[in-house]
Amino acid sequence: MALKSRFLLDPLTRKKLRRFRSIRRGYVSFLLLTTAILLSIIAELLVNSRALIVHYEGETFFPTYGGISTGRDFGLNYDYEVNYRDLQAAFKADPASGNWVLMPPVPFDPLENCYPGESFRPRPPSFAEGHYLGTDQINRDILARLVYGFRNALIFSAAFLVFTYLIGITLGCLMGYFGGWFDLGVQRLIEIWSNIPFLFVVIIVASVIPAGIGMNLGVLLFIVVLFSWTSMTYYMRSATYKEKTRDYVHAAEVLGASTSRIVFRHILPNVLSTLVTFIPFTIASSISALTALDFLGFGLPPPTPSWGELLRQGTSNLQAPWIVASAFSALVLVLVLVTFVGEAIREAFDPKKFTVYR
Amino acid sequence: MLELRDLTMHFPVREGVFNRAARFCKAVDGVTLNLHAGETLGLVGESGCGKSTLGKCVVRLNQPTAGEILFEGTDLAPLKRAALKPYRRHLQMVFQDPVESLNARHTIGEILAEPFIIHGIGDRAARAASVAGLLDRVGLPATAADRYPFEFSGGQRQRIGLARAIALNPRVLVCDEPVSALDVSIQSQVLNLFLELQREMGLSYIFIAHNLAVVKHVSDRIAIMYLGRVVELAPADEIYHSARHPYTRALISAIPQPEPRRKSGRIVMTGDVPSPIDPPSGCPFHPRCPHATDRCKVEAPALRPAPNAPAGHTVSCHYDL
Repeated sequence: MALKSRFLLDPLTRKKLRRFRSIRRGYVSFLLLTTAILLSIIAELLVNSRALIVHYEGETFFPTYGGISTGRDFGLNYDYEVNYRDLQAAFKADPASGNWVLMPPVPFDPLENCYPGESFRPRPPSFAEGHYLGTDQINRDILARLVYGFRNALIFSAAFLVFTYLIGITLGCLMGYFGGWFDLGVQRLIEIWSNIPFLFVVIIVASVIPAGIGMNLGVLLFIVVLFSWTSMTYYMRSATYKEKTRDYVHAAEVLGASTSRIVFRHILPNVLSTLVTFIPFTIASSISALTALDFLGFGLPPPTPSWGELLRQGTSNLQAPWIVASAFSALVLVLVLVTFVGEAIREAFDPKKFTVYR
Repeated sequence: MLELRDLTMHFPVREGVFNRAARFCKAVDGVTLNLHAGETLGLVGESGCGKSTLGKCVVRLNQPTAGEILFEGTDLAPLKRAALKPYRRHLQMVFQDPVESLNARHTIGEILAEPFIIHGIGDRAARAASVAGLLDRVGLPATAADRYPFEFSGGQRQRIGLARAIALNPRVLVCDEPVSALDVSIQSQVLNLFLELQREMGLSYIFIAHNLAVVKHVSDRIAIMYLGRVVELAPADEIYHSARHPYTRALISAIPQPEPRRKSGRIVMTGDVPSPIDPPSGCPFHPRCPHATDRCKVEAPALRPAPNAPAGHTVSCHYDL
């Protein structure tokens, strides 16, 4: 009995999901976004300078996820990592050998300069060269940087979501449940805390951070989360206040339930369903926050691929409009999709839809 | 078995810059009552008279400001959470609105198993058996355990609420208007279930209601409350046929009669219920009482045995009306 109810969603949730599916715009956006996220997880198989499969002298290699193979491993005369694009060309020139290389659809790495030795300049999109969106000012493939930048933004916003919600939900719930002086005190602290100008702190931290650590994803995340968890406490606090005066909580109290049981088994599940509606908007805001920080140069350190950094390059190289155009379109597309999903979820979860009166 | 002595619940009314409790809402103001084993004590009064607050004090949802709650000789009023827990199982509550009192995210099985989990009784299999037994007892099929509260009607949900309350074999059940949220056609079914369970399990009820007709049906004794105080306490029949307090008489006369030709003789009270934050001096009922004298404005009457009435009939009025 209990087992069964663990695996089956409760009927109310199923009803909400059904309605979500019936909102076409949101559902299609959701499918597109999910596809993009799934593809970005396996980005190494799609956008990579390493080959997917190398067939050499009767043996088959899968270099994508393995260690580094040197040129000599495949019969070339150098000891650094193989350039698989050159290897492919070499094998093609000698079809009799039976060797072949299968490259990913976009055979470039986001960090590699594709034309070493030449002067750096942005190159326009070219199908012949395989740079479908062109290159940036130091000859890196823009499509590769877009894909890996998207993945970084996703990792960032997922971690951002988890940490801000964890802190915000816990503290907000405690404030709402205990109330009184605890609530009052923490509220004042939060007000003071949320008035610290976040951007200045990022600038200061970026300038004083020891070179040994450097500004990396973890440090950036830590700072952003440090100043972003407060808004969730407001919602959780008032929602908990509302729930705790309801009779089902009283019933649990009369039975002698412990505080943790009341908070985690009774109040939280009733509050969380509305919390779902916030998630897409949190993701949208965290993607734009990261992009903005990168644009200003206080975000992820170069050469990490990021959309903000592409936008900055694009705006300072307006003679190469494909840089800013592709970064801008990608950003707008993702934010619009996320917002569509968010609105559909909000509509599907609207409690007014469940009442008799509409 | 259960005795309330001078039970008082004052809620602070916080105001001003420093949130000081400048005034108090005297929701329950010195109530003394006792409840015998197996009896039903009806608690009647207008909304805002403190009857629900009194019920919540008894099950310690509220911490009373003063007074004693003696359960078989133990005073529950000052006990802290942990010390109170063993007594919780003897004092349970049925709530007014079964939609509010059942957690919509839990199945009926989870709701009914919770009392056993909290008090550490039985393993998973034993709990499932107990849940099935409880459902059977309140007249619901065992398949209900896998379903969610919203799949049930109001009457069925109230049966579930009742099943949860009796799960741990309590001695006292505080019923806070348990049928007033239900359809009239369902009310009598649920009331009969209450009576049936009382017979089977020897429960004592504190039955809170504003509907005198309902209370009359189930109660052995009835206490009438006004502004946080008990103004009259008597066996149910006594209250109906020889009420002594002017407030009780006004309430009784307000019961609708099924006979259209009967002379109504309704006593219509003037004015509104005064605020319990700032109750009138002397007898709390004096501003609305047709018999009020100067004495009533100054001196608060104590609950005393009603003159020329059978034992057990007490009234709080200076005069023998």
